Amino acid sequence: MKEHNLKFHIIGIILAVFFLLPFYWIVISLTKDNGQLYQGTFFFGIPSHFIDNLVGVFAYKNGVFVNWIGNSFLYAGVGSIVGTFFAALAGFAFRRYQFVGKKILFIIILGFSMVPGFATTLPLFIVFKNLDLLNTYWSIIIPSVVNIFGVYLMVIYWNQIPEEIFDAARIDGAGDIFLFFRVGLPNILPGFTTLLLLSFVGIWNNYFLPLVMLSSSEKMPLVLGVTTITSLQGFPVYNLTIMGAFLTALPLLILFLAFQRFLVPQLTGAIK
Amino acid sequence: MNIKRKFFLSAKAYLFLAPFLVFFILVVAYPVVFGGYLSFFGQRGARMWYVGGGNYLSVLMDPNFWSGFDIPLFLLLVQVPLMLFISIFIALLYERVKHSQVYRLIFYLPYAIPGIIAGILWSYIFSKSMSPFIPILSLFGIHNVNFLNLSTLIWILLIIILWEWTGYTALIIYSTLLSIPREYAEAAKIDGANNTQIAFYIKIPLLMNTLLILFIFNAIGALQVFNEPWMLGALVTLPPNYTPAMYIYNEAFYYGDFTYAIAMGLILAGVIFAISFFFLRTASKQMQIHE
Repeated sequence: MKEHNLKFHIIGIILAVFFLLPFYWIVISLTKDNGQLYQGTFFFGIPSHFIDNLVGVFAYKNGVFVNWIGNSFLYAGVGSIVGTFFAALAGFAFRRYQFVGKKILFIIILGFSMVPGFATTLPLFIVFKNLDLLNTYWSIIIPSVVNIFGVYLMVIYWNQIPEEIFDAARIDGAGDIFLFFRVGLPNILPGFTTLLLLSFVGIWNNYFLPLVMLSSSEKMPLVLGVTTITSLQGFPVYNLTIMGAFLTALPLLILFLAFQRFLVPQLTGAIK
Repeated sequence: MNIKRKFFLSAKAYLFLAPFLVFFILVVAYPVVFGGYLSFFGQRGARMWYVGGGNYLSVLMDPNFWSGFDIPLFLLLVQVPLMLFISIFIALLYERVKHSQVYRLIFYLPYAIPGIIAGILWSYIFSKSMSPFIPILSLFGIHNVNFLNLSTLIWILLIIILWEWTGYTALIIYSTLLSIPREYAEAAKIDGANNTQIAFYIKIPLLMNTLLILFIFNAIGALQVFNEPWMLGALVTLPPNYTPAMYIYNEAFYYGDFTYAIAMGLILAGVIFAISFFFLRTASKQMQIHE
C-alpha cells in the first residue's frame, strides 16, 4: 500500500512541475527587462527590473492600463451580479410554478446554451451596429448579463430545496417576492455564490466579445488590452506584456485562493 | 387546476422570468434568428442581395472551412483522450493520497488563468527569443532549435489546453468517484481484488456517464478553439483558417464577408448542437423532477 502511494507521489510531483512551470516562469520574468528575457534563463533577473516593469505598464500610453483594470472590474462585476440574479429569478420560476410553455421554454433555453459564441456574436455585432451601441460599455455589459448555463444550474439548485420550506412560509401568508428573497435565496446561497464567482471569472476571461465590439483602447478590459501593448513603432514589448498578463491573472488567482470552497466545477447536475 | 388560476400562476412565473428573457431574446435568440435571415444574402460592403441557400452551399464546398477542422479533430482524438486518462489518474491520486489538497490546488490553478494569458505565457516559453529551454539544450550541443513553427504548433496547443483543463477535469472525475458507494470497493476487496482491479473494473465503468459528458463538452470546446491559437498567431504566421472559429472571425472582420461568416457560424452551431444532443436529453430530465 505504502509503495503504491510512492508511485502516485512520483508521478504527481512530475505533473506538479508541469502545472507550476508557467507560474514560476512568469514570476521570474517579472523581474527582467527585455535584454534579460532574451537570455532565457530559469533564474530571476539581476539586477531586478520588477519596479521598472510595474511603472512601465502603468505609464503605458498615459496610464490606459488603469482604465483596463477598471473596465474588467466593471464588466465582470456588473455582468456577474446582475446575470446571477436574473438566473436565480428564472430558476425560481421554473421551480415554483406550473406555467404555460414551461417545458418548451426550458428546452429552448437549454438548446441555446449550446449555440457557440461565434454564431451569436457576429449577428449581435450587426444588431448593436444598428442600435449605435458598438464600442460602448453597453456592448459588453448587456451580453454579459445573460448567463444561459446559469439558469440551468439555478434550476438544479432550486430543485434541491424541499417543498416543505416553501409550504411552511406560505402558511404564514408569505407573498412570492418574500418567498424568493427571504426563504429561497438564503437556501441557495452556496450555489448562488458559486455561480457568481464562475461567471465573474468567465466574463473577466472573455476575449472574443470585446475583440469584436470594442475599438477604442480606453474601453477595453485587461484581457484584450494586454494583447495590444506595442512600442510606438508597433513592435511587441515583451516585458510590459508579461507584467500586464500577470496583473490580469492576479485578481483571479486571489479569488481562487480566497473562495476555493465555492469554485468547484459545475457538471454534477448534468450527470444525474 | 382551473384555467383562471393557471393563467394567474403563468403571469407570476413570467414576471420572474422576464428580466432574463428580455436580455436573452435581445442578445441570443433574436441575433441567432436574425443571423439565420442574413445568411440567405450575399454581401459586398453595404450591398446585399438574396442568394437563398447559396452561402450554405458555398460553405459546404469550401475546402478552407473543412481543413480548419483538422485542429479540433486532432484535439478530440489526441488531446481529449490524453487529458481524460491523466485526469482519471489524478482523481485516483486525490482519493489515495493523504493531504491531497496541495495537489488539488496546484492542478486546478491553471483554470484561473485566462486562455489568452495562458496563450501568451506558453508561446513566450516556447518562443525563439525567450525560451529557457533553448540555452539548456545548447549545453547539450543542440543548437538553433525552434519549438514554435507551423508544424509544431499543434503540439504546443495540446500542451496549453492540457495545462488549462486537466485539473478542472480531474476535479469533476474526483467528485464522481466520491459519490460511488464505499461498499462496492469493499465488497470487491473481500473477493480478493487489488486496487488496480478495483479502479479498472468497478470505478472506471461507473465513471462512464461522466466521461461521456466530459467528452461531449470537450468536443464542443475543441470545435470552438480560438483564443490559444489566436495568441500563438502573434509569434507564428498562421493561415486565416487555422481553426473554424478563426476562419469565421477572419472572414467577417478581415475579408468583410459577414453573411458568409454567419452561415459558417450557424453550420458550426448545428454540428455542436448534434454533438450535444445526448447532454441536452439528460439535462432536460432535470425538469421532470417537479412535474
